[in-house]
Amino acid sequence: MSRKLMAFILTAAFIFGTTAAFAEINGLKGDPSEEYYQIQMVSGVEYWFPVFAAFKEAGNRLGVKTFYVGTTEYDANKEVEVFDQILARKPKGIMVHPITAEAFKEPIDRAVAQGVAVVTFAADSPESNRHGYITSDNVREGRYAARALGSELGGKGKVMTLRNPGQSNHDIRVDTFIKTIKEEFPGIEVVADEPTNQNPDKAYTSVLTVAQKHPDLGAIFMPEASSAMGASRAAVELGGGSAKIKIICCDVNEQILDMLKTGDVYGAINPDQGMQGYFGMLTLFMAAHPELIHPMNGKLETGKNPVYIPYIDNGLTLVTAENADYFYVDKYAQSLGYKDVKDMLSPGDPSKEK
Amino acid sequence: MDTVKLTETGAAKPSEIKKKKWKILEMRELNLMLILLVIIIGLSLTNEYFATWTNLRVVIGSFSLDGIAVIGMTVILISGGIDLSIGSVMCLSMTICALLIRASVNPWLSALLALFGCAVAGLIMGLLITKIHLSHFIVTLCFLGIARGIVYALTTGTPISLVGALKDLPAFRFIGQGQVGGIIPMTVIIFLALAVASEIFVRKSSLMRLVFYTGSSEKAAAFSGINVDRVKLATCVTCSLFAGIEGIIYVNKFSGVPVSAGTGLEMTAIASAVIGGVSMNGGRGSVLGAILGLALMALVQNALTLFTAPPFWQDLIRYLIVLGAVLLDALQKNRAIRRMA
Repeated sequence: MSRKLMAFILTAAFIFGTTAAFAEINGLKGDPSEEYYQIQMVSGVEYWFPVFAAFKEAGNRLGVKTFYVGTTEYDANKEVEVFDQILARKPKGIMVHPITAEAFKEPIDRAVAQGVAVVTFAADSPESNRHGYITSDNVREGRYAARALGSELGGKGKVMTLRNPGQSNHDIRVDTFIKTIKEEFPGIEVVADEPTNQNPDKAYTSVLTVAQKHPDLGAIFMPEASSAMGASRAAVELGGGSAKIKIICCDVNEQILDMLKTGDVYGAINPDQGMQGYFGMLTLFMAAHPELIHPMNGKLETGKNPVYIPYIDNGLTLVTAENADYFYVDKYAQSLGYKDVKDMLSPGDPSKEK
Repeated sequence: MDTVKLTETGAAKPSEIKKKKWKILEMRELNLMLILLVIIIGLSLTNEYFATWTNLRVVIGSFSLDGIAVIGMTVILISGGIDLSIGSVMCLSMTICALLIRASVNPWLSALLALFGCAVAGLIMGLLITKIHLSHFIVTLCFLGIARGIVYALTTGTPISLVGALKDLPAFRFIGQGQVGGIIPMTVIIFLALAVASEIFVRKSSLMRLVFYTGSSEKAAAFSGINVDRVKLATCVTCSLFAGIEGIIYVNKFSGVPVSAGTGLEMTAIASAVIGGVSMNGGRGSVLGAILGLALMALVQNALTLFTAPPFWQDLIRYLIVLGAVLLDALQKNRAIRRMA
């Protein structure tokens, strides 16, 4: 090894080491009294749990308090009420999943005007003044599912979709799935597009009915997990189960994971919730501390918050029987050192950490 | 119209109620059967996949689950009450049963305990209605939230999987997933057994006559010595129990509990019952009529799927057809009444 190379390596190691050490000591830290909230609708839904786990994890590292709040109902008014109640507590930042874009424009704008950082996640209020939006890309999910099934079917056969008409993120996934199949797999025919409204029994009946007309049905795509329970039951009754009819859904829960492992469901597209929560919190923190960043966008100079990120894609994973074990939320909670899921959802307060 | 003559005390004469009830019910059910027949013939002629044994099985299977809750709803509607909580109570039944099975409790005992839980829910609702004199609407609306809230609290919103547990319980699994002779789903047999038994009970039982009297006129029934509170209490428990039975079969059929299960079930049950001639004001109706109402909705849905109707149009088309059927029935009924007059 030449002397120059050795000198370069040593210098690089020194710079990296001192930077890392400096970051360890003087890394990004908030005030322990700062409060950051994650707000969502239907807060009992399992999807949000790993989002908050990562949100809290990031909050702990940043030395700030984090809270999991929301409404148990699918109701825009109630969620706005919760948002306003949290705003009254003068938080440093709010990461919110707005049910409807319009309902949240005014509350978000009001919060931002009061100096509260706001980031939307998994659903957006694009006309509002929120500082950022982090989500899985619904278009990408639909396309990913279409390509996975298209390849699995060898480019020919018949597929059907199940959907929840009117829920925009679900509609985008299904519409993209159908579009991608038509564009990239001309040998595959989409023979039915049925509304099930996330009801397993409706999914079961729809699949059995369509299969009469198309006994050679090869695959089913649905933008959520509940319908997969009914679709897989129907596939079993039709004979052959998922070996004959491949089922791909979006999102995972314990039952879908069990079904992936038993082979009743072929695959599940899962947005990377951890990335959503962690980078959601980082974005929120940066928006709450604009003094930490000085981008060349002229906003800081004109007294505006320089942090504005229209869109961050948190990525996705195809969950199959091979990797299903990593997605059980209770096991995940335990792997993070929590007693259980409830413990994982408890407020994060680094000042009280052991 | 279909009112009955009252005695001096205001109570209806039992014989007259019975005669009128039978006439009206028979006419209503016959009308519905004719409408169903017209739809069946029309579909058979226009869609080659409709008139097949497999499709018949799918159609009957499609309403055999919700049909169980419809029976309970019919009984409570006849009594003059209503139960908006059945969807949540059904989900509560599923949750209790699934959690107990996962805790290694015998599955049959788990199912019984889940049904007991539903009966207790029905009893509490009944007591609030009869002793505190709260309305059915308010009490059951509250229980719609309370039962769902208990489900969320017990599950932290996480669906419960029984995929692994049911694999080792073939006898229990049979009630939801089994097929008799490899042809008829067990769920259909359970539903038909319950429906036939309930229909006979509703038509023949003297106990059910008390429910009809109470529904026709609560005051009159009370004057004639009927313990109205006990009747109302019994119908609340019955309705919750039927919702619970549906839950047990549901959890079995789909090997788990999606915590949103049963959402909107009350609307399906009420709509089916009303289409089938069950009066929202009480005192009139039959299980057969309500099941025919449910069958009509299932048949329309089946046709929409077979004809590949666009998903965004299906609700509109379905409910327009159902409205058309109800209007047709009403027109026929009015004509018959005019003829009788």
